[in-house]
Amino acid sequence: MPLKGAGGARPLAGFVARRLGTALLLLFLLSLLVYGLVFLAPGDIARNLLGTRNATPEALAQVRAQYHLDEPFLRQYWRWLSGLLGGDLGTSVRTGEPVSSVLAERLGLTAALCSLAFGLSVLVGVPAGVAAALRRGRLADRLLVGGSVVGVSAPGFAVGLLLLYVFGVGLEWFPVYGTGTGFLDGLWHLALPSVALALGLGAFVVKLTRAAVVRELEEDYVVFARSRGLGGRRVLGVVLRNAAVPVVTSLGLLVAYLLGGTVLVETTFALPGLGSLLESSVLFKDFAVVQALTLVTALVVSLVTLAVDLAYLAVDPRMRTRAGVGR
Amino acid sequence: MSRADHDPSARATTPTAPSAVLAAVPLLSVRGLRVDGPAGAIVAGVDLDVRRGETLALVGESGSGKSMTVKALSGLLPAGVRATGTLELDGEPLPLDPAARPWRTVRGNRVALLLQDPFTSLSPVHTCGAQIGWALPGKPSRAERAKRVAALLAEVGLAPDTADRYPHQLSGGMRQRVAIAAVLAADPDLLIADEPTTALDATTQHEVLELIARLQRERRMAVVLITHDLGLARSRADRIGVMYAGRLVETGTGAQVLDAPAHPYTARLAACEPPLDRRLPLLPTIPGQVPAAHAVGAGCAFADRCELALPDCRSRYSPLLAPAPDDAEHLAACLRIGESAALPVPAPEAAQASEAAAPRTGGAEPALLVTGLVKRFPRTDRPAVDAVDLRLERGEAVVVLGQSGSGKTTLARCVVGLERPDAGTVAFPLSERDGGGPRGRRTTDPGRVQIVFQDPYSALNPGHSIGTTLREALRAAGRPDEDPADLLELVGLPREYVTRRPRRLSGGERQRVAIARALAPRPGVLVCDEAVSALDVSVQAGVLNLLARLRRELDLSILFITHDLAIARQVADRVHVMHRGRVVEHGPADAVLTAPAHPYTRQLLASAPAAH
Amino acid sequence: MTRRLPRMPRTPLTVLLSAVFLAVAVLCALAGPLLAPHALDQDLYLGTVGAGVEGHLSGTDALGRDVLSLAVLGTRSALLGPVLVACGSMLLGLLLGTLAGFRGGWLDTVVGRYADLLLALPAVLLAMVVVGMLGGGYWVTVLVLVVLFSPTDVRLVRAAVMEQAARPYIESARVLGIRPGRIMVRHVLPNTVPIVVANLLLNTAFAMVALSSLSYLGLGVAPGAADWGRQLADGQRIMVDNPLAAILPGVLIILAATSVNLLGDWLAERLDRKVATR
Repeated sequence: MPLKGAGGARPLAGFVARRLGTALLLLFLLSLLVYGLVFLAPGDIARNLLGTRNATPEALAQVRAQYHLDEPFLRQYWRWLSGLLGGDLGTSVRTGEPVSSVLAERLGLTAALCSLAFGLSVLVGVPAGVAAALRRGRLADRLLVGGSVVGVSAPGFAVGLLLLYVFGVGLEWFPVYGTGTGFLDGLWHLALPSVALALGLGAFVVKLTRAAVVRELEEDYVVFARSRGLGGRRVLGVVLRNAAVPVVTSLGLLVAYLLGGTVLVETTFALPGLGSLLESSVLFKDFAVVQALTLVTALVVSLVTLAVDLAYLAVDPRMRTRAGVGR
Repeated sequence: MSRADHDPSARATTPTAPSAVLAAVPLLSVRGLRVDGPAGAIVAGVDLDVRRGETLALVGESGSGKSMTVKALSGLLPAGVRATGTLELDGEPLPLDPAARPWRTVRGNRVALLLQDPFTSLSPVHTCGAQIGWALPGKPSRAERAKRVAALLAEVGLAPDTADRYPHQLSGGMRQRVAIAAVLAADPDLLIADEPTTALDATTQHEVLELIARLQRERRMAVVLITHDLGLARSRADRIGVMYAGRLVETGTGAQVLDAPAHPYTARLAACEPPLDRRLPLLPTIPGQVPAAHAVGAGCAFADRCELALPDCRSRYSPLLAPAPDDAEHLAACLRIGESAALPVPAPEAAQASEAAAPRTGGAEPALLVTGLVKRFPRTDRPAVDAVDLRLERGEAVVVLGQSGSGKTTLARCVVGLERPDAGTVAFPLSERDGGGPRGRRTTDPGRVQIVFQDPYSALNPGHSIGTTLREALRAAGRPDEDPADLLELVGLPREYVTRRPRRLSGGERQRVAIARALAPRPGVLVCDEAVSALDVSVQAGVLNLLARLRRELDLSILFITHDLAIARQVADRVHVMHRGRVVEHGPADAVLTAPAHPYTRQLLASAPAAH
Repeated sequence: MTRRLPRMPRTPLTVLLSAVFLAVAVLCALAGPLLAPHALDQDLYLGTVGAGVEGHLSGTDALGRDVLSLAVLGTRSALLGPVLVACGSMLLGLLLGTLAGFRGGWLDTVVGRYADLLLALPAVLLAMVVVGMLGGGYWVTVLVLVVLFSPTDVRLVRAAVMEQAARPYIESARVLGIRPGRIMVRHVLPNTVPIVVANLLLNTAFAMVALSSLSYLGLGVAPGAADWGRQLADGQRIMVDNPLAAILPGVLIILAATSVNLLGDWLAERLDRKVATR
């Protein structure tokens, strides 16, 4: 990570400010890219907007004027950008509702689904990875490693479908679709989707954790700690504290993976979240929604990356020195 | 006690054993130790006693099995490796299997191992104080723990605030002190130190060894010191054990083993150690190379390299025998032990080239002229090389002597063009005058200067045969038609090595190939950056002899970078001493290394182990 | 000195099974129409939808097409695209990675920023947006994935090249005056082969997952085309009538990606060992 030495009285604040600046630049470039795509997209968006109405030249012209499609690219982009800075994400082409309210409506479900999957994969994946590393080469390790290869290889929708068939259609333990009402019912409805989402993620966590712990176990400080009479439990504690560094730093990647996966799982289980919204909006070319969702995703990833960098500073004193925020 | 002459401070306060009865039982005793790895034996027969309060040095070249021996003795054998034999601690039998229950109370509290590299033996994410505190016995309270950590830090000569610092914030020497404090927390009776100072600079090395000696006196610990350095063993140990190919070949007091060796290997090894006080025309070497422990048959492991070997030596392994019947202290595993007095320490071939040592100063034009060289790396507070001037005459050898961080390697890299200096010039007046023709116009004419690096294992592309490597160099030198085997012959390797891959060559042989490659363009100047520092002494001597011969025969000028005073003494006509990027002293080797003018050079000389 | 390499273990059963599975899949991709038990348009009439249709081992899909034949014909897009994505992105990676790693300077900075930018977003998601908005077909999707997959390869190659470039034998070659291009080809690149090969397979598996995900969402393949992701999406709608219509392609996707991953891990380990022991 290219952290440069920071000067000033509050180096940490400077570090965070630099990171936020980079994130804003990224968001800007990305919005430009997506807007460019809309502009480049073949076919006439005005026809899409008209839907089933008669595509008379007058109607088309009216739609173009209404959505400012007749203006040059940069002016259109500026219009959108100034709207965004004023808190206006635009209007959904498909439903005519403001994008912000569409997003707000669906945010809860996706947040719940992702949190459940994330928690599940970390809570199961980390201990499994540690256990595999400690039993390296033995049967339990080989089973876990094999399982994680399958998990990494299985796309969320395929896993979702198999779960749906076995536990939903076959055993009828879980509902096949819908979100349920109330907290417990909602949780029950989200069980299969979050497991489907957590499987691939958990497999990554197992692989990562195992590799990190295996690497640390081979370090000299482990031999030295044992030579001073430290018990297995204490030595393991030291190893885990060290192995936490690479695991924590890859959390950002995991969140990116999670956001990609939620689109598939929400589609498979027909859940009304942001993922399925993106899927349908992309297919409909509802560019205001697509643009907003892309930015929200990038924002989340950027913030998580920032949080991870801060966590990195917390878990690795060498990083603190290099970033200039340590003693 | 002859050792008192070497180190007056050590013996005077040595405690006597608590009682005569206990003294009779060694603290640690191992018989018939054998360690087997997946490829076969690593240690193949070691009998050792360690007595209370004594320092035993275990000496051997790489591959001798000394590290694995102490791993077995400290209950830290890695997985996949198995030890057999009998081990007794205080007369009580102790299983060699490190997973056995008794080890839980033995490790740390009775026997502790200090590792070589202080940069990797501490956890990077824990404070030094925390790491020292881990091994404190009992369950001390927070305040109690802090107090005891502070006391331990004081004992190893570190400030109390070191407890709050992380290892990466400390120098190598300070880290090794922290590691020592961490070992002391468990209060071991026996401290095994595996090359504890090899990763450190000479001056730091000296301080750490002094610290270990003082702690040993104060705490009445026994110390087993693993080292490849005979001078260090002589100055620090009460007794010395010499290992060769997984076997213990000789034990005795320092004086017995090093001054009157009874095993031919010990004798030859001791002879290889380059002296600090004079330059030898030719350094003694041991022909051949150390065999792997598992490749040795029933005979003596050294028989193939020993000119005293009898036919019997190859079929029968000798137990440890006493050369003098009345002294059971001195033992050697040699069938010709009875003839020990007559053992001729093989002298090197007659010095045929003493004129090579004479520095040349007459040449009007130097081979290399460095003026005002400055190199600064981004984000560092001072230049790595700061206004260095250096002149190298034709056929001369100049040594740049310095510790890590002195800028000596950066200087070498600037000279060969691997780094671009920020200021100053590097010129090769001789080759620029001679090097007319089309190649002379090239900015980087390989005929001006070539380099040999330190690590023999990454010196050659593992995927290319020796012939391919040398042919490529010849082609680059504009001599594509020449036979690479001639180059091999030049560096004293068999011609048939052209078909070999680097992995089938020993470290010394690889280094010779690297020299052959560097000689392909017939350079006027050869830069050697610590070119023998990674080699064992016996191999080192051979490569140094080769360089001396090449200098003589090819009229080669050599710029030799090293941290080692004894090597500098053997190579140098003139010496430049570098410290923090500057040349602090330079002059003829004799003058600089026997009567240094600069305080830094004096400090360097004072910390050399053999000076004690 | 004491660390010895464990003996080369026998080829594990899982790796053998993976190889067999992939060999069959490649055969199907090459000669699908000859191997498929039914032509796709053979039973295109209503009334034969579902499981247990006579003559159809795994039933038919919503359009009355034979599920097994559709799966056999789907191997081509399941294998070809991912292989192209992996090769294409590795080609980009080798090109940009060697330039950045060996040349350094501003080029390194530019390449580094490009990789940072693309890595900051979930690749599948971005691919979805780009392909969806551009409305491209299979080959556009493959191309987009090549670009989106390349940052990891660029970083990988760059790191490997930089690690190699600092080695003494490379520096010796530089001092000998051997040209950088030649050093690259003769010394640096051959030693990065293990890491490149291993990553090719790893990326192939990732691309299998990504491409099938996109086609599951209806992107990159035409409606009704023989493609596992698409087949699964269509089959999901008649899951009660013929579960196999969705389960068969789902299992095939998982098996194919797992096989490639297993093979990649095994090959990486072997090549690593070979480099370490030579």
